Amino acid sequence: MTIEVNNLHFSYGKLKALDGVNINLNQGSIGLLGPNGAGKSTLIRILLGFLQVEKGEGKVLGYDIRTQQSDIRRFVGYMPEDDCFIPGMDAVCFTSYFGELSGMPHEEAMKRAHEVLFYVGLEESRYRQIETYSRGMKQRLKIAQAIVHDPKLILFDEPTSGLDPRGRREMLELIMDISSKKNIQVLISSHILPDIENTCSYVVILNKGKLVAQGDIKELKQIKYSLYEVKIKGESRNFLRSLRERQCKVEKTEDGLLKIYMPPGHNPQDIFMIAANEKIQIRHFLKSQTPLEDIFARAVGVD
Amino acid sequence: MTIRERGYAHWDGELEESKFSWWPIATYGVKLTFKKKFFKSFFFFTFIPALAYLGGIYVSERLEDFHFMIEESAPFIQVNPAYFKSYFTNDFLLFIIVMIIIFAGAGLISDDIKYNALQLYFSRPLKKKDYFIGKASVIFFFMALITLIPGLIFLLTKIIFSGSFKFVLSYPWLPFSTLGYSLILIVFFSFYSLSISSLSKNRRYVAVMIFGIYFFSDIFFQIFYGIFKNQYFSLLSIKANLKQIGAFIFGQKLPYSIPWFYSFLFIIAFCTFGGLVLKRRVKGVVIVK
Repeated sequence: MTIEVNNLHFSYGKLKALDGVNINLNQGSIGLLGPNGAGKSTLIRILLGFLQVEKGEGKVLGYDIRTQQSDIRRFVGYMPEDDCFIPGMDAVCFTSYFGELSGMPHEEAMKRAHEVLFYVGLEESRYRQIETYSRGMKQRLKIAQAIVHDPKLILFDEPTSGLDPRGRREMLELIMDISSKKNIQVLISSHILPDIENTCSYVVILNKGKLVAQGDIKELKQIKYSLYEVKIKGESRNFLRSLRERQCKVEKTEDGLLKIYMPPGHNPQDIFMIAANEKIQIRHFLKSQTPLEDIFARAVGVD
Repeated sequence: MTIRERGYAHWDGELEESKFSWWPIATYGVKLTFKKKFFKSFFFFTFIPALAYLGGIYVSERLEDFHFMIEESAPFIQVNPAYFKSYFTNDFLLFIIVMIIIFAGAGLISDDIKYNALQLYFSRPLKKKDYFIGKASVIFFFMALITLIPGLIFLLTKIIFSGSFKFVLSYPWLPFSTLGYSLILIVFFSFYSLSISSLSKNRRYVAVMIFGIYFFSDIFFQIFYGIFKNQYFSLLSIKANLKQIGAFIFGQKLPYSIPWFYSFLFIIAFCTFGGLVLKRRVKGVVIVK
């Protein structure tokens, strides 16, 4: 197991951030999904040893998260969400500096810094002061410092946060390349579903500090349930009440779209029948095209 | 060229577990300080007191060459423990030390907090202790160059110019006093600058605090002493406490008529408080409850 945690508990004062989380993760790219405040960053910080667990145990790459934090950090790369840099340094110095801090000899760290800066696409600006970098360049630099010591596992915390569409696409390409072709396992924490869906083969979903789902994305997609997007004309109150009486969960979006979650065993024709009974016109009917969104919504609850 | 077309090769070396994992922090810290605006010019200026005192040692050994400058039989320059004490506790040197720690120490931790670098440090196999030692080593480097190193050079110069070990044999404890007092200054100013640096994200505020606390503590002492005529108020002043300890270590008359160890306790208390501040302020993660 690359990451293995059992019955993990952690609180910030009275606020329970992790409540009995059990995770067993093997090779591959893993997505850590959850809404804000779900406990994703707390879990990453515990895996790195920034925070001490209150209860429970765990191992990362076979090292105990409570007693062998130094070993974990030696073989794990971490890309934090925030902009992180050291003023006055250029990218080469910055990257080799963190290579040395990981235990690389100075010359090797310097050589390796050039290599990884080429790899992440910062070769032409590697001697520029980091303060002058754009957001996208800083993100790439954070990846460079995370891979400079050739880790076995990389933890990405919201890697596409604040990037424009092109920057986001390139960042995801880079992560996919690292995870699929370089034999480095990655754990990506994100609340952006398509990012996880495009880059990961396995997903762990947290909500309010609890593990609500985990598994292979392909297998999770096989779960029988349905999400329909519906637009109606007419008085919706009775229509919604009738749907809820049939155990459907309904969410209304800002632009008047209804998202109807149908439990297994129900027929979508029921929606039309209810509409006909309640004298409602259905102007738009679409089965959701984003299956992970369904899984996520079902796991964390639509309310 | 897209990213995927570029190669990535695994590193075939082995990551070493070092007892000196703070070393890169120290070396890069010193390099970054030299990159600061005006620092290089200021740095040469810091050697002025040492050069003046070194000149004094040369003159004291070559008095016959300088007879034209002095009154007959008047004691001109006597190199003795008082001379060393005078170098280490003079106002100008202490001022230069404060300026050095403003240049080298103000941003040491505050910049890491401001630019979120702490989480990068602590995602490495680095303990808090290593981080602090690395940062304090930057202060050590610059302060040793104007305290410990000149002190040892003074001793060596005196031996070379006098052509004998008579001076060292007369004051065998002087090398230890030089070493001891230099270390007290370095340790105190390391805690002083690092703890203040950890209090703010703004390096300029830190610089103002480093300067302000040092000088206002002395001003408060002067005001209270002026009103109450009680020398115990010297304990309020960083400068007065350091001078008191310096006088004791170099075996000279104490400048204030209070026991020397009160000042020593003040310095220890200050360092302990600084250590607690550092421990509280420097964390791998900022927890928002």
